[in-house]
Amino acid sequence: MKKYVISLLVISMLLLSLAAFADTVQLPTYNGPAVTLTFWSWVPGISNSIAAFEKAYPNIKINYVNVGANFTEYNKLLTALSAGSGAPDVAQIEYQVLPTFISYGGLVDLTKYGINKYESLFVPWTWNQVKSGNGVYAVPQDTGPLALAYNKAIFAKYDLTVPTTWEEFEKDAQKLYQESNGTVYMTNFNAIGASNVNWLVGLIWAAGGQLWTSNGNNWVQTINSPIAKKVVSYWGNMVNKGYISSYEPFTSDWYNAMSNGKIASMISAAWLPLLLANNLSNQYAGQWQIVPLPYFAGEKSTSGNWGGSTDAVTVQSKYPEASMIFALWLNANPTSTTLDNENGGLFPAAITGLEDPTMHNTSTNTDKFFGGQDVNQAFFDASDIVNVNFAWAPWANYFFNSFANYMNEALSGKMTWDQAMDQLQSSTLNYAQTQGFNVK
Amino acid sequence: MKKIKFQKSLPFVFLSPFLILFGLFYIAPLVYGFYLSLFHRYGLRPATFVGLKNYVQVFNDANFWFSILNMTKFFLIQGSIMIGLALIFALYIDNEKNHFRGLFRMIYYIPFAIPTAISGILWGFMYSKSLSPFQSIFGLVGLHPNFLSSGSLFWSIINIVTWEWAGYNMIILYSGLQSIPRELYEAAHIDGAKSFDIIKYVKIPLIVPSLILSIVFTVIGTFQIFNEPYVLGSMTFIPPSFTPNLYIYTTAFSYGNFNYAAALAIILALVTFAGSMVFMRFAGFKEE
Repeated sequence: MKKYVISLLVISMLLLSLAAFADTVQLPTYNGPAVTLTFWSWVPGISNSIAAFEKAYPNIKINYVNVGANFTEYNKLLTALSAGSGAPDVAQIEYQVLPTFISYGGLVDLTKYGINKYESLFVPWTWNQVKSGNGVYAVPQDTGPLALAYNKAIFAKYDLTVPTTWEEFEKDAQKLYQESNGTVYMTNFNAIGASNVNWLVGLIWAAGGQLWTSNGNNWVQTINSPIAKKVVSYWGNMVNKGYISSYEPFTSDWYNAMSNGKIASMISAAWLPLLLANNLSNQYAGQWQIVPLPYFAGEKSTSGNWGGSTDAVTVQSKYPEASMIFALWLNANPTSTTLDNENGGLFPAAITGLEDPTMHNTSTNTDKFFGGQDVNQAFFDASDIVNVNFAWAPWANYFFNSFANYMNEALSGKMTWDQAMDQLQSSTLNYAQTQGFNVK
Repeated sequence: MKKIKFQKSLPFVFLSPFLILFGLFYIAPLVYGFYLSLFHRYGLRPATFVGLKNYVQVFNDANFWFSILNMTKFFLIQGSIMIGLALIFALYIDNEKNHFRGLFRMIYYIPFAIPTAISGILWGFMYSKSLSPFQSIFGLVGLHPNFLSSGSLFWSIINIVTWEWAGYNMIILYSGLQSIPRELYEAAHIDGAKSFDIIKYVKIPLIVPSLILSIVFTVIGTFQIFNEPYVLGSMTFIPPSFTPNLYIYTTAFSYGNFNYAAALAIILALVTFAGSMVFMRFAGFKEE
């Protein structure tokens, strides 16, 4: 009798859950033996969502290691992959270097394990970024659509109007420079260092620029396109005039300058507000606000993407299917994406994660820092207008180092910003060709 | 007969602890590095034998030769400053008439005891725009230098390396000075030499071998600079072509081009070797 009751209960629960998820794809279950997977990631507080995963999948244990952020991790991952041992089962990889790892042959094509079923769970442009040919090599984790964060107190003090176009932004910058005798900067030029130049790529992206297009194995590289040059010169000229500062991002100098009111605004990706709320002093807490990213007059309002990651399964994994299940659950289960949003500031790439009502809870520390604004909502709006056709080349690791180098040369006045983009185009092209890519 | 054979091999038995480690951790990686440099491999695809093609590429690699040139310049400037300072320190602590010799010897030597990576971090904070105590000192006279800008970076690293290694070279020169028989000073003194004359005509000529040793170590050390720029790289942008080792590291671990990096490393070793040899010839050093 007891047996029947239990099975009835189980059946009714199954039916109920089926009803609840009738219109969405169910995340896969795991029926294999007990396994332990190694996971490399640098998302703050991700151990909370890992714990939730282990509860939901008792047969999969996760050995979580933070080996460093972006390039620090990629260097280790690349070395471990080349060495043939030491790589994790699942690794966090940003969109921009995913094609590099795919072309190295370091990642597992997950279509073998049926990942295509879950395409509808994710924001469409992110799925384009994890695809290569017919293969799918990673699960999108988060994105970084761009908006503008500004300090209301400084704007009020110098009587600045919130800019909607880049032309207005520059006028504000000029006014601020004159009224403050050059002591307060409009914003910071963040394209300093190989892991930060992506900020500028995001702005080129927002302006409709493309750096690479491919047709099968034939690539065209257009790093020095008129749009890219226009965007880079726009920012370069403001640096040259002293309107904006050039601190290296994420250093104490950079945070301090914002804490002390020396920087009036910051081009912000969706994951940045949490970092600002956690790292800036309380002097201007509640004064920061997010508004849409400005655009060039005459164009339409658009946005680009800065950062954001995927979770990929490496070829060294002994349990690729379990690894894929983990990566899917971590990034598409609303409990997990909400935890990652609260603890790590991740802006989910999964539609269910974006639609979850907890994303609009404005009592979080981040929202309080932004004066009670629904910060996530501001980035939903930004996410909707991100240009969707942007693609990365598999020689991005060289590109980022070289980009940082030429930006540095232009910053120190050794060449003009246009020359920097021309040289970046030719040196990167040369590198890609010596690596055997068919590119012009 | 047997006994003679045994006696011949006996030195090698006693040398074996060194020889085995030297072979395993020095000769073997060198041979393996050369072997690697003869291949090309993209990502995880199988490697293909390319002969000396990587070496041809090295000779056309402007970034690599820029880094060599940059370090040559670094050696000429930093080496002179550091050896000069080390010599002054050594002469000071060698002269028994000076006070607090023991204290100064320790103070000058302490930086060498700090790992170079830690020194890099320490100085990084001193150079930072918002944390540096130097900013407030310079601020008093209205200056706001940026020690980490691309123009001043070269000099900032010269400062760190000098701070780290001056004490080490001081000890080399000091031990040279200590081995000079004291009677020579007395004799010079009787001949009417002032202390400056003694330094010029007795002390310095007699420590030339130590000076040469110091300079050769500096040549080798300069071409191998890595930790300081690598650590400062988290606070400011440092181009990979700043030093040869930084460039080799980036080529291997960021671009995944281990074979080409091996070729670069072999050429760097040859350049360093040639640099030291040229200097030793130039200094008139002859093997006895």
